[in-house]
Amino acid sequence: MSTPEIQTRDLAVKEKFRLSRFLVRWEMILVYILAAINLLLVILRPNLYFESGTIQSIIRSGMDISVMVLGMIFVLMLGDIDVSVGAIMIVSCMVMGLLLDAGAPAAVAIIAGIAAGGLCGVFNGVLVARFRMPAVIVTIATSMLFRGVAEIVMGENTLKNFPDWFSTLAWGDLGGLIPYSMLFFLAVAVIFAVVLHKTKFGRELYIIGNSSTVAQYSGIRVVRIKIIVFAVMGVSAALSGILFAGRLKGISSGMGTGYELKAIAIAVLGGVSTNGGKGKAYGPVIAVFIMAFMTKTLDLLNVHANIQIIFQGIILLIAVMIPMFNKEFFDGLKLRFVFMGDKNIEAISRRSAKEQQELKAGIAEVYADRSLTEGERKAKVNEYNADIAASKKKCRDDIKRAKDELKARRKNVV
Amino acid sequence: MKKNNILRKILNYKEFGLVIALIVLLIAALFINKSFFTFGNISRTLTNNSVFAILTVGIMFVLITGGIDISIGSILAVSGVSVTELMIMNNSIPPIVLILAGIAIGAACGLINGFLVGKMKIVPMIVTLGTMYVFRGLAFVITQGAWRFPHMFTEAFASYAKTEILGFDAIVFWAVGLFIVAGLFLGYTRPGRRLYAIGTSSESSKVAGIREDNVKILAYVLCGACAGLAGALYAANYLTVSSDIGKGYEMTAIAICILGGVSITGGRGRMDGVVIAVILMSVITSLLSMIPGYSVWQDALQGAIIIVAVIVNIANGSLADKRALRERGNRI
Amino acid sequence: MNDCILELNDVVKTFGGVTALSGVQFRLKRGEVHALMGENGAGKSTFIKVITGVHQPDSGTILLEGKRITLKNTVESQKLGIAAIYQHVTSFPDLSVAENIFMGQEILTKAGTYNWRAMRREARKYIEPLSPEIDVTKPMSTLSVAQQQLVEIAKALSRNARILIMDEPTASLTRHECEELYSIVDRLKADGVSIIFITHKFEDMYRVAGRVTVFRDSQYIGSWDVNEISNAKLIEAMVGRELNQLYPEKTSEIKQEVLRVEGLYKEGYFKDISFDVRAGEVLALTGLVGAGRTEVCQTIFGIMKPDKGRILLDGKEIKINSPADALRYGIGLLPEDRQLQGLVYELPIYQNVSAPVINNFVKRGLISVKDEMAKAIELCRKIKLKAKDIAAPPSSLSGGNQQKVVFAKLLNCDLKVLILDEPTKGIDVGAKNSIYEIINELTASGYAVIMVSSEMPEVLGMADRIVVMRSGRVAGCFNIEDATQEKILAASLVKSDEKGGSAV
Repeated sequence: MSTPEIQTRDLAVKEKFRLSRFLVRWEMILVYILAAINLLLVILRPNLYFESGTIQSIIRSGMDISVMVLGMIFVLMLGDIDVSVGAIMIVSCMVMGLLLDAGAPAAVAIIAGIAAGGLCGVFNGVLVARFRMPAVIVTIATSMLFRGVAEIVMGENTLKNFPDWFSTLAWGDLGGLIPYSMLFFLAVAVIFAVVLHKTKFGRELYIIGNSSTVAQYSGIRVVRIKIIVFAVMGVSAALSGILFAGRLKGISSGMGTGYELKAIAIAVLGGVSTNGGKGKAYGPVIAVFIMAFMTKTLDLLNVHANIQIIFQGIILLIAVMIPMFNKEFFDGLKLRFVFMGDKNIEAISRRSAKEQQELKAGIAEVYADRSLTEGERKAKVNEYNADIAASKKKCRDDIKRAKDELKARRKNVV
Repeated sequence: MKKNNILRKILNYKEFGLVIALIVLLIAALFINKSFFTFGNISRTLTNNSVFAILTVGIMFVLITGGIDISIGSILAVSGVSVTELMIMNNSIPPIVLILAGIAIGAACGLINGFLVGKMKIVPMIVTLGTMYVFRGLAFVITQGAWRFPHMFTEAFASYAKTEILGFDAIVFWAVGLFIVAGLFLGYTRPGRRLYAIGTSSESSKVAGIREDNVKILAYVLCGACAGLAGALYAANYLTVSSDIGKGYEMTAIAICILGGVSITGGRGRMDGVVIAVILMSVITSLLSMIPGYSVWQDALQGAIIIVAVIVNIANGSLADKRALRERGNRI
Repeated sequence: MNDCILELNDVVKTFGGVTALSGVQFRLKRGEVHALMGENGAGKSTFIKVITGVHQPDSGTILLEGKRITLKNTVESQKLGIAAIYQHVTSFPDLSVAENIFMGQEILTKAGTYNWRAMRREARKYIEPLSPEIDVTKPMSTLSVAQQQLVEIAKALSRNARILIMDEPTASLTRHECEELYSIVDRLKADGVSIIFITHKFEDMYRVAGRVTVFRDSQYIGSWDVNEISNAKLIEAMVGRELNQLYPEKTSEIKQEVLRVEGLYKEGYFKDISFDVRAGEVLALTGLVGAGRTEVCQTIFGIMKPDKGRILLDGKEIKINSPADALRYGIGLLPEDRQLQGLVYELPIYQNVSAPVINNFVKRGLISVKDEMAKAIELCRKIKLKAKDIAAPPSSLSGGNQQKVVFAKLLNCDLKVLILDEPTKGIDVGAKNSIYEIINELTASGYAVIMVSSEMPEVLGMADRIVVMRSGRVAGCFNIEDATQEKILAASLVKSDEKGGSAV
C-alpha cells in the first residue's frame, strides 16, 4: 500500500475556503450576537435607535476600556493574566495630569504618561518572566502597589487640567457621524491585529502561548517577548487612560477599579483562551462593541447598571462553556448512556465504524476506477454494500452480546 | 543537645521569616506610637480585621486545591444584604439565625462556583470572574439599590457583633473560632486532607481514587460559606449595608494568603502561616492609621510586601535547588 | 491445577491508529518474580496500564485466579490486590510519607478524624523493614528517588497487594540501592507476593526473576525460564532482527572537525566532558539513562549554562547563552521529548517547521505564509512526511511522522551541527528506518551529527565514533571498528556505589 507515490504525496493545502465553516467561526457568532442585540434595540426602541446620535453615544460609551482589551489579548495569549491594568491606567493618567498641572506641554505630558504605563508594564513583565513569579500574584500585588502610589501622590485631589481635545476625542464625532474614539480604537486595533496575525512577533506569541518550552527550544527569546508584552499592556492601559480622562474630565485615585476584570471578560468573550495560544484579535474587537451595545440596550430597558453586570457575567460564562460541547463531550454521553459505561463496547462500535468507513472508501474507489464496465461496477458496489450491512449487523450483535455479558457480570457482583 | 534541637526547630519553622517581620514591626510600633499597645487599640484592631480574616480562611481552602475565587467579595455582599433585608422584614429573627442564613446563602453561591469548576471543568479564574459579576448584580437586585443605615437595624443584631466578651468583641471570637475549626479541618479530617491531595497532584489523586470534582466543589462551598459568614458579620459590625460592600476584598484576602505561604499553584499552605499573615497585615494597617497622613500608604505597602515575600520564597527555593545539585555533584 | 494468579489472553489495545498491544498474552504464577523485558516502545507500559485498569483493552481477556475480570479504573485493580509502582513515582510531593502511604485508605479515629498517630505508627511498621532512615513525617519531596520508590512499595504492601508491578525500579538507583531493592524483592517473594518486574538490565533479571517474558513491537515474543535462556538469545528476542538490516549503508565522507567541547562542567550533572565531532560524521553519545548525556546536549544548545569549560566551533571559541545563540551559530537540537519540547501540537505543521526561522519569511515586516508553506512542503517532501496536508496539526500524525516534522524544523535552519537526543524514542520499527535514512543523508550533505541513544544496536549501526558517558563523565571513546556491544557495556556499567541504569 505504501508506494513511493503515496509517501511523497502532495502536501499543499487542498482545502479551500468553506462557507459553512466560516459561518460558524467564533468571530461570526459574535457578529450574530451583535446583530441580535441591535435588532432587539430596533424592535424595542425604534424611534430612539434611528434618532441621530444614539448609535454614536452607544459606541462612545464602550471605548474607554477598548484599547486595554487589545493589550489584554496579548497577555492572555501568553497564558498569563494582568489584573493591574486598572491601576496602571490611573497611574498614567496621574502622570499626565500632574505634568499638565505643572504647565508642561500636552505632548510631553502624554508621552510621559504613556511611558509611565509602559514602565509599570515592564515592572510586571520582569517579575513574571525573569523571576518566574505567577502572573496572577504579581499583578494582584502590583495593582495594590500602583494604586497605592496614586493614592499617596494624589491624596484626595482630582486632576482636571486635561487639554480640551481629550474630551473631543472621547465625546466628539468626525463630521458629526463617526466617533473619534472609535476611529482611535480601530486604528490601534488594526495595528494589534496585524502584529498578532501577520508578523513574527505575533507568531512567536502563539508559539509561546501554546508551549513556552517549545518556543525556547526553537530559539525564541521567551523572556524578552514576555516583558515586551507586559510593556505593551501597560502602554495600552495608558492609551485607554487618555480616553478615560477625556470622558470623565477629571481623575482621582479611586477610579477605574474593576476595569481589569472587565477587560479580561471582554477578551475571553472574544474567544481568547486564558490558557494561552488560542484566539484571534477580531473576536475581542467585536466583543467590545457587544459590551457597549448590550450595556446601552439594558439601559434603555431601564435595567440598572448594577443589574447589567449579571448579564455580563452570564454571557462570559456561556461563552467559555460553548466550546465544551464538542465531540468528546458527546462521546462521553454516548459511552455513559449507550455503551453502559463500558469501554470495551465503545471499542467494538468504534472498530466497526472504522471498518464501514473503509468499505465506503472502497465504493468510492470503484466509482473512480474508469476501467470497469457498468455491470462490473454495480456488482462490486453491491458486494461492498453487502459487506457494510454484514458489518453493521455484526456490530449490533457483538454489542448486544457484550452488553448481556456485562449485565450478567454486574448481577454476579451484586 | 536538647537546647540545640529546639533552636533548630525554631529556625526550621516554616513561617520563621514572617514571625521575624512581625517582631520587627512590633518593635517599630514601640517607637512610633506607644498607644498601639493599649488594650483598646489591640481589641479595635482585631475587630476591624475579623471580616478579612474570615474571608482569608475561605479563600485558603480554594487556593490549596490550586484554584482561585475572586467572587468572594460579591458573595460577601449577597450574604450581607440578604441578611439585612431578612432582618428588616422580620424583626424577631434572632441574630444567630441570621448569621446561619448568611452562611447558607454563601455556601449556595459557592456551590455554583464549585459546580462550574468541578463538574464543567472551566478555569476557576474565569468562572469566578463571571460569578463575581452575577453575584454583585444579585446583591443589587436584593437591595433594589437602597442603603441600610444603623437606625434600621434591630437592637439584637446591632449589638451582636459588638457584644464584649473578656474585653473583645464577639466578631473576634467568630474569626478565632473559625481559624481553629478550619485548622483542625485541614489538618485532621479526610476531606480537609483531600484538598491538599488534589492541589499537590491531580494525577496521583486519580490513581488514589479521589473524586477530584467533588473535592473541588467542597472547597468552593466552604469558601462561599466563609464569605457568607463574613457578609453577615460585616452587616452586624458596620451596620451600614449596600450592594457595594466588600468590593476588592478578594484581592486583599488572596494577598494575605500568599503572604502567609499558601501556594497559588496548590497543595501548600498552613493555618499558622495565614494567622501570622493576618496579624501582620492588621498591625500594618493599625500602625499606618496612627501616623497622621500615612494611612494612604497602606495599599502600596501591602503590594510591596507581597512582592518581596514571593521573591524571598523563590530565592529560598532556588537556594534549595542549588544545595541539592551540589549534593548530587559530590556523588559524581 | 491452575497455579496462575494472573493470566492475560489476546489483549489488544490501540490508541487512535497506533497499535500499542496486538494480541498479547502473559502468565504470572503465584509467588514468582516475572521479568518483563523489551525495547522502549515495545508496549510494556501500556501492558501495565491495562493490568492496573488505567486503560481498558479493546479486546482480550484478563483472568485473575481463573476468574474473568474487567477493570474500569485503578481503584478496582487496587481492591483486587494489584498494585503498580511506576517509573515516575505517582506521589503527593507536598504531603508527608505517612499520608502518602495511607492516601485513600486513611486510618481514622472514632470521631472520624485523621488518626495521625496510628498512621505514623503503621507507616513506620511498613517502612522500617525497607529502610529505617526514612522519616515518615517528612514531605515526600524531600526524599531521594530510591526512597520514594520504597515508600511506594510500602504503600502497596499496606494495601495487601498480591500482585506487584514494578516498572524499571532500578533505573535511577545506585548500586548499593539496587542491592537493597533485590533483597526486598526476595523477601516479598518469600511472603507470597507475585511480582512483575520490568527492567532493561540483565542483572536485575538474573538476580530476582524466575521467568522472563519478552515483548517486541507491541507483540508477545515468548516466555522462558531465566536459567534456560542465554543473553544472546534474549537480545535476539528483544531486538528481533539482524543489525545491519535496519541501518542504511553509509555514504558520507568524514571531513574536518566542526565542533569541539573541552572540559565542560556543570555542578550536579557532569564533569570534564571533552569530545569533538567532524563534518559528515555521526558521533554517538551513549551510556545509561541519567548519565548526563541529555544535559550535555542541552548545555551545548544553550538551555543550561555550564559552570566551566569551552565550546569551539570551527576552531573558534563561542559563548552560547540561549538556544537562539546556538541556532545562530549553526547548532541545532532535536529534543528528547518531542511532545514537550519539539512540537506545538495545536499549530499547523508548517508553522512548527518555520518556528526557529520566522525571519526568513518576513517581507517588509510581515510574514509571507506562501513562502513559509512552500519551504515547509519542500522540506517535508525531502523527508517523506506522511500527512494530510502541510496545515494539518502534528497531533494528527503518528510518532514517527511527528519526529520527521521536528527534523524538518531543524533542516529549515542553516546548521552545521545537529544534536539528536534519542531520535527514535517511541517510534515503530518502520519509521525508525526512515529516520536513519534521514540521518545518513544529513551526514552525506556535510552535517556533523551528535546522536544521543540508549539503544545499543542503534549506536553500533549508525555511529562512526562512540563516546560512552557514565555518571556525568566520559567513560570511554571508541571508533566504530573497535566497538563491540561488550566494550560499550563494560564502559557504561557502573563500578560499585555509582549510579546505575539500563543496559539495552
